[in-house]
Amino acid sequence: MTSVPEDTGRRGKVFPSAQAALEGIADGATVLIAGSVGYGVPEELLRGLAETGAKDLTLVCQGDWPQGPGRSGIADLAAAGRISKIISPLPFHPENGGPVKELWQAGKLELEIVPQGVLAERLRAGGAGIGGVFLPASTGTRFAEGKELRRFDGRDHVFEAALKGDIALLRARAADTLGNLVYQGSGRNWNPTMAMAAALTIAEVDQVHEIGGLDPELVITQAIFIDRLVLSA
Amino acid sequence: MPGTPLDPAGIIRRAAQELTPGAVVALGPGFPCLMPGELSPGGGVWFLADGGALGLDAQRDPASSGDAVDGSGGAAVLRPGGAFAGVVDVAAILRGGHTGIAVLQPAQVSASGDFVHWTTVATPGLLAPGSAVDMAYGAGRVIAVLPHQSPDGQPNLVSQCSLPVDGAGQVNIIITDVAVIGVGPAGFELLETAPGWTADEIAAITGAPLAVSSTLKEMTFDIPDLPPPNKVYASAVAALEDVPEGSVINVDGFAGPGGMAHYLMVGLRDLGVKGLQLISNTAGVARVSAFGAPNIIDHSILVENHQVVKATASYPVSPSASRPSAFEGAYNRGESDLEVVPQGTLAERLRSGGAGVAAFYTPTGVGTLLAEGKETRTIDGKDYLLEMDMRADYCIIRGHKADTLGNVVYKGTSRNFNPVMATTARITVVEVDEIVEPGQLGPEEIVTPGLFIDRIVLRPAEFSPYL
Repeated sequence: MTSVPEDTGRRGKVFPSAQAALEGIADGATVLIAGSVGYGVPEELLRGLAETGAKDLTLVCQGDWPQGPGRSGIADLAAAGRISKIISPLPFHPENGGPVKELWQAGKLELEIVPQGVLAERLRAGGAGIGGVFLPASTGTRFAEGKELRRFDGRDHVFEAALKGDIALLRARAADTLGNLVYQGSGRNWNPTMAMAAALTIAEVDQVHEIGGLDPELVITQAIFIDRLVLSA
Repeated sequence: MPGTPLDPAGIIRRAAQELTPGAVVALGPGFPCLMPGELSPGGGVWFLADGGALGLDAQRDPASSGDAVDGSGGAAVLRPGGAFAGVVDVAAILRGGHTGIAVLQPAQVSASGDFVHWTTVATPGLLAPGSAVDMAYGAGRVIAVLPHQSPDGQPNLVSQCSLPVDGAGQVNIIITDVAVIGVGPAGFELLETAPGWTADEIAAITGAPLAVSSTLKEMTFDIPDLPPPNKVYASAVAALEDVPEGSVINVDGFAGPGGMAHYLMVGLRDLGVKGLQLISNTAGVARVSAFGAPNIIDHSILVENHQVVKATASYPVSPSASRPSAFEGAYNRGESDLEVVPQGTLAERLRSGGAGVAAFYTPTGVGTLLAEGKETRTIDGKDYLLEMDMRADYCIIRGHKADTLGNVVYKGTSRNFNPVMATTARITVVEVDEIVEPGQLGPEEIVTPGLFIDRIVLRPAEFSPYL
């Protein structure tokens, strides 16, 4: 786990800006990006990531699914030529397309399709210290091709390896200064799982409370998983 | 001249006749997302979106929405008693067999029940199914809703799909804009026709042989009343009286008295059912540990009543050799069998049982006695043991509050094994201090969604957890 650099001027794990929190991201990093269709997406961190200039990134995410007419940060990163690969269940809107689709069609971006539940389980395994799992989903489809099959309880299962990231970018409703997180509605989606599955985890939040400001029964992601916080503007 | 094809809402109204009260129904993107809007608000069906909204309701007040999203990316409203979950929880709900029905919009369905999802067709060269694969494989029954023909007049119901499939043999019934068609071992069977359509007209636009049912009839569009099933039972005995001899039972709790369903344990003791196999963190040490009390009710009351033939536990012995637990006595006398599982492995095996993971590789226990007889595997230079999932027939857990739909919140560290055990049993019974109406537990605070809970029992105010 990457620890937070000591800095007495900082309020807990809160960094002054997205760029500051994203400092040191290396070219070629695997970045887990939470959110889906505009819910729970760390858009400011994505803008900050574009500004770092880091390139050759592999993203693990739901995909470029903006809500409404705007562009998503994933689309902007793609358009800026920073992404070499996206692992996703559905990386662009099937009807609206966008930069991810265009770059993929031009051969400038690799896409790997993993069914949503399989991707979630692989990330959970990565975060929970599990080396791999045998799953029943997708037997008899292209997603099982080339993978180890094993029969349990009379049904074929597919071996799926754990998946981890170098960095996870999250979006939450509120944090305390320790990094405990609560989410908002469907914005929870990939956030708690990705929070566990990366070496460095950065969360963008609407509010930062003092310690004790979040009800312990309501905390979804525990502070031990969170390294850095950025307050949303 | 055939009749007019149904509009998507008509297809969905007919599909809604397939629902049953209390059903957990996964809705894929497209037509399926219309379904909550066709039913009465607050009904007894759990609609689940892949983004993590559990309990989608009719869109009564779009202005009030904003927190929930449906499978098409549209703003949605949760019913009172709805809850939010992450996608990994949704994946577990689907894969673990907790959804009775999935409603999906394929672009093609074959006579053997294979299907290609519309998003796969809409992403040529990429073939991205989103969560359609998870939904199809997880649900007990898959309802395909789609137009009978593609926009350019090609049949969508075919002998064999023309693209790689997103599910092999998964579709059970097809509802199109002109017909209801069953998928059986002999292929397509026409069950119902849309108003104005004949069997011959439908067969002519179907791309595979179409048998006609002897009970062929015209489609109707009335949706039955689907009230929530009653889950509240009058007493512990009433909630557990059908537990058969030899059942595997999850019993929650840690080591002390917290999080233990004392009242349900007493009910199980009073019923006297024999041959029980308990899965539990301890096999009952609260009586003999410093954090319990000598007269606290724990698993020992079942052991002393000679009801327990086996325990699977991580901490089955008393911390004090001079004060052995009741289970230790039974084990030493040969009355009960024991399987020792490290606590984290126990939790993960239970989670796997609830989440449809057949087996997993864990580093815990490599090189110890616990590894004997188990497969080891090196993954990325690290050694792991293969551990199997674990499931139960019944589960008795302890919540703080439940609503009448079965949503549960816990209190403090008494949460412990409760949420994971709740997902693994055929019948899960929860004992709570308070039962409230749906909507009184907030969608962000619910820990165990009601779809995992079958029976709710109020711990009587006069009940004492001490003997």
